[in-house]
Amino acid sequence: MIMAIIKKELLQLRRDPRLIALILIMPLVLLVLFGIALKLEPKNVNMAYNDNDKSFFSNLIKTNLWSDGYFNLYEVNSKKAIIEEIRSGRAKAGLYINSNFSSELIENAQPTITFYTDGTMPSLTTAMKYHSGSATDKEVTNDMYFLDEDAQNVVIADDPFLMQTIVLFNPDEKETWFFLPGVIGVLIMQIALILTGISIVREREKKTLEQLLVTPISKSSFIIGKLLPYVLIAVADFYLILGVGWSLFELPQPSSHLLLFLLAVVYVAVMISLGLLISLVSKTQQQAMFIAIFIIVPSILLSGFIFPLEAIPDVVRPISYLIPFTYFVEIIRGLLIKHTLFTDLSNAYLALLLFSVFFIGASIIKFKKSL
Amino acid sequence: MIQAQHISKSFHNIKVVNDVSLKVDKGKIFGLLGPNGAGKTTLIRMLSGIIKTDTGDALVNQLSTEKAKPYFGYVAQHFGQYEELSVRENVEFYAQMYNVEDKQWLDTLIHRYGLTPYQEHFAGTLSGGYQRRLALVCALAHNPKVLFLDEPTAGIDPVTRKLLWDDFYKLSAEGKTLFITTHYMEEAQRCHELAFLSAGKLVATGTPSNIKDALGEVYVYTTTLEYIPQLHTALQNLEATLLVNQFGEELRVILKNATSKTLVEETINAMTSQPCTLHETNANLEDVFIALTQEEESSL
Repeated sequence: MIMAIIKKELLQLRRDPRLIALILIMPLVLLVLFGIALKLEPKNVNMAYNDNDKSFFSNLIKTNLWSDGYFNLYEVNSKKAIIEEIRSGRAKAGLYINSNFSSELIENAQPTITFYTDGTMPSLTTAMKYHSGSATDKEVTNDMYFLDEDAQNVVIADDPFLMQTIVLFNPDEKETWFFLPGVIGVLIMQIALILTGISIVREREKKTLEQLLVTPISKSSFIIGKLLPYVLIAVADFYLILGVGWSLFELPQPSSHLLLFLLAVVYVAVMISLGLLISLVSKTQQQAMFIAIFIIVPSILLSGFIFPLEAIPDVVRPISYLIPFTYFVEIIRGLLIKHTLFTDLSNAYLALLLFSVFFIGASIIKFKKSL
Repeated sequence: MIQAQHISKSFHNIKVVNDVSLKVDKGKIFGLLGPNGAGKTTLIRMLSGIIKTDTGDALVNQLSTEKAKPYFGYVAQHFGQYEELSVRENVEFYAQMYNVEDKQWLDTLIHRYGLTPYQEHFAGTLSGGYQRRLALVCALAHNPKVLFLDEPTAGIDPVTRKLLWDDFYKLSAEGKTLFITTHYMEEAQRCHELAFLSAGKLVATGTPSNIKDALGEVYVYTTTLEYIPQLHTALQNLEATLLVNQFGEELRVILKNATSKTLVEETINAMTSQPCTLHETNANLEDVFIALTQEEESSL
């Protein structure tokens, strides 16, 4: 008898080819994606440097950092510019060498260079600190010792120079500062994709849609009426979680409340319209749920929410930029933690706006055809 | 009040409704008959604007279905109200779809269908009969001129069915036009006018008493006899036979000509080895229904 049930379940599954496709394709896609994507070993982390010394010694430090393959160095023209590069997100790290570095080195005065890291993502910060070690390792310092063999024997300290590390934006490297803003996005994604995702399929499956379509309500009023409650719930949730973050986890205040609200609105619009699209393409609630999860899982893993974007190889990186959540993470961390300027976030805002236009447009087209 | 002008609809290149024209006058109860899959539901859905016609026009109250929406109500074959909402919430919801806010009117309506004690119950917990009543109340909430009912009494006990029909007559007396699909003969008998749909085509229209003419000139005989399978086959194979039907101990034979009567008697006598008397009678709706359905099926 159990066999009969098993057989029946399998038969039912087989009659839903879309679901089968989802069940088979999803693990494959995710496997390949994560097999390639999740190396957890960031590469080519952008580092802005300002070298005022421009000497053989300072070059030695930069070359060694570069050849390690971890940092991708580029020059900016002041110490302040380094911090701004990191604030904008263009760089994750910075290196400052002042103009009397080599003279102090020669005088055996143990000069200091400054290494800056972005503290927003503590795991990346730790990795960057570790890799910044190649600035001071033996390969660099040995060459400094044996520069002038015939010179009089000067006592050289163990370390010819020191490196000072400054963690920017999240100096205590609090994990909650890093996670909480992203969690807001994940929760809104879940509410929007799953609740909205099943909302219309459900009316269809339960046959209430037919009964509703004979009433004079216009299709657009129907959709707006169906979506608005979820929009409000999602926006309310956004501030609820933020409120918890502010009161319990000392989450910093945003640089601009207006920009934060704008983010909430645009992001919720993207997610709700995507949920609507899911609801319109799905034939059953099961399918809708599956598609929603299919979107949520890679969004969490490939967006830079948990793993830094720098850890995602170039082949997979374009997918990261196709995920709306990626831009949400960038903006909310920028607003709350780094106080990034709007000009540096405008592209991310624009991306979210385009996503919402695209999903709403696609929903309208699909909606006209299918209802 | 309701008009269909040469409407057709195909799904996957199969004509489900094929060039149907009909007209229903105000205050009439119009019954659409037909076997399962004949296209009844598709037709009623086109008339009520849920699906578009491929060709032809459907008019309600002289308006295109889209514009006529405020003037008609529709009850689907399946329960389509919200199970998680209470009876009252459902009724109010549908009333608001038509901007009807008159609570007293809704109270009267709920009372009229005996739902007052169940007002606060969730629609999903009601029995089948009460769900039907609720669906009807929701469809009547805006006091429409026309009511489309897709198999309104399918699976309903005879008592509730009678109650519903008594009510349909009242609605009709109030001047409402009712369009009902059914395959219950007893129910068809109650309609003012009937149309018979078979394989997407209207094959007969008329009042319950004159729709029988659709069979043309036929001769109906009846006798009391136990069911004998071989006899049925033998009778069915006679050239003149249109239909052989057994009701308990009653055997009904419909012939295309009166002269074959003796042949039928002989066949019966040969099989039962006892003399039988055939009484002539009139075709009933069930005879018409089955005969028309058979004709259509054999001509496919």
